[in-house]
Amino acid sequence: MDSVKKHPEIKCFVTVATIVAQLEVILTEAKSLSLTSKNARVVAIRAGEAALGFKSITNFINEFSSRTIQTTEHINLHAGQLFKLALNHLRASQLEQHLAKSLSLCDHAQSRALYVKAASDVKDVMVSLKHELQNLQWQFEEIEQQMRAAEYIAVTSRVEASQAGEFCASLESVSDYISSAAMRIKGAIETNLNTLDELERVFK
Amino acid sequence: MKSTDLYQGKHHKWLVFGRDQGKSEKIIDTNQYMIVTSQQTMLLDPGGIELFSAMLAGILSHTELEKVTTLFASHQDPDIISSLGLWDKTIPNAKLYAPWLWEGFIRHFGMDNIEYKAIPDEGQELRLDSVTFRFIPAHFLHSSGNFHVYDPEAKILMSGDIGAALEEPDAPMFVEDFASHADKMRYFHQRWMPSNSAKKNWIARVRELDIEMMAPQHGRIFKGEAVQEFLEWFDNLEVGIVNS
Repeated sequence: MDSVKKHPEIKCFVTVATIVAQLEVILTEAKSLSLTSKNARVVAIRAGEAALGFKSITNFINEFSSRTIQTTEHINLHAGQLFKLALNHLRASQLEQHLAKSLSLCDHAQSRALYVKAASDVKDVMVSLKHELQNLQWQFEEIEQQMRAAEYIAVTSRVEASQAGEFCASLESVSDYISSAAMRIKGAIETNLNTLDELERVFK
Repeated sequence: MKSTDLYQGKHHKWLVFGRDQGKSEKIIDTNQYMIVTSQQTMLLDPGGIELFSAMLAGILSHTELEKVTTLFASHQDPDIISSLGLWDKTIPNAKLYAPWLWEGFIRHFGMDNIEYKAIPDEGQELRLDSVTFRFIPAHFLHSSGNFHVYDPEAKILMSGDIGAALEEPDAPMFVEDFASHADKMRYFHQRWMPSNSAKKNWIARVRELDIEMMAPQHGRIFKGEAVQEFLEWFDNLEVGIVNS
């Protein structure tokens, strides 16, 4: 833990890697939700009049799962940029540390100028990094919002499923799946938001 | 970091940096060379990342950073060039001359600004101001793509890992008694150099050069008679041996 406090630039790599790992969980769940909505739509059509309400719900499921996939893929692209920034931050910090050491060995005007520039570069990279992390936090909060909608849909679809006669059981299992997938996605988001919070504390 | 003048001529000078008192015990001691011409400076095997601070302080005592236009890496090893990512931010307008074979590997040390100048297998000449240097092939002698730097004016051959010895960091800079020094080189050459035919090839090439000083990247520098003694010793040494 002390080494993390001393070298927050290393913590940054771990954070980005953790986020990327959790993105895979979100993406897989969102894709399964999208598939589930398509299957549920077929079942609802077969159920006819009895499942009319459920049919329209499948459109919502499909819509928010597509949105979740889109946001997750966007975050994934962002992660590459974050790794790059984390690497820049690591290198800038290393350079700053080495220049400070060099300055202690030989107080030369060029060494001082290099050190001042390196310290300013570290600050600049840090600002970009914090900006990117803030963006990431907003994107995760957006997905979290979508998952709240998913929970409402799960409740509504359970009500609609109960009126679908012989198709009731299979539509209820769809409702259960939406509910559990939303929970898993929320869990992954929570992990990521905690990781980001932790990083923010290290940087402070 | 100790610096020693090796040569002072009309057009340029050679310095060696080494015997770093601040270095960790677990890393091998290295020699870094610097050539200063009228307007330019070249660093030869500028060293590992942990030496950067001491090297920077050492260099600034002799030249300005704007004049450091050229870096040379004899091969890809970390003790040779892992400081590249830091030099890249410190001397952004320099060129790195290194074997073409190692470009994709050396770039992993971090290289956004410095220009990579790939040395072809057969070697090439390099001119700094009015001085011409030659990159001499030493392939498969420690590394599969490997070069040395020969300076015909100063008659110095910077020989990378050939002639290297593993010894104490406070060892003298020059070989004083070849016979006793040979023991310190034997294992290094037998284990780190895999090919007797590559060795013969290199010796034949180097015997054609007029060499006053042979300057390896580890250990002591050979002067005068010691250069020929080394070539003779190396010629008779069987390399590519494990558990010797």
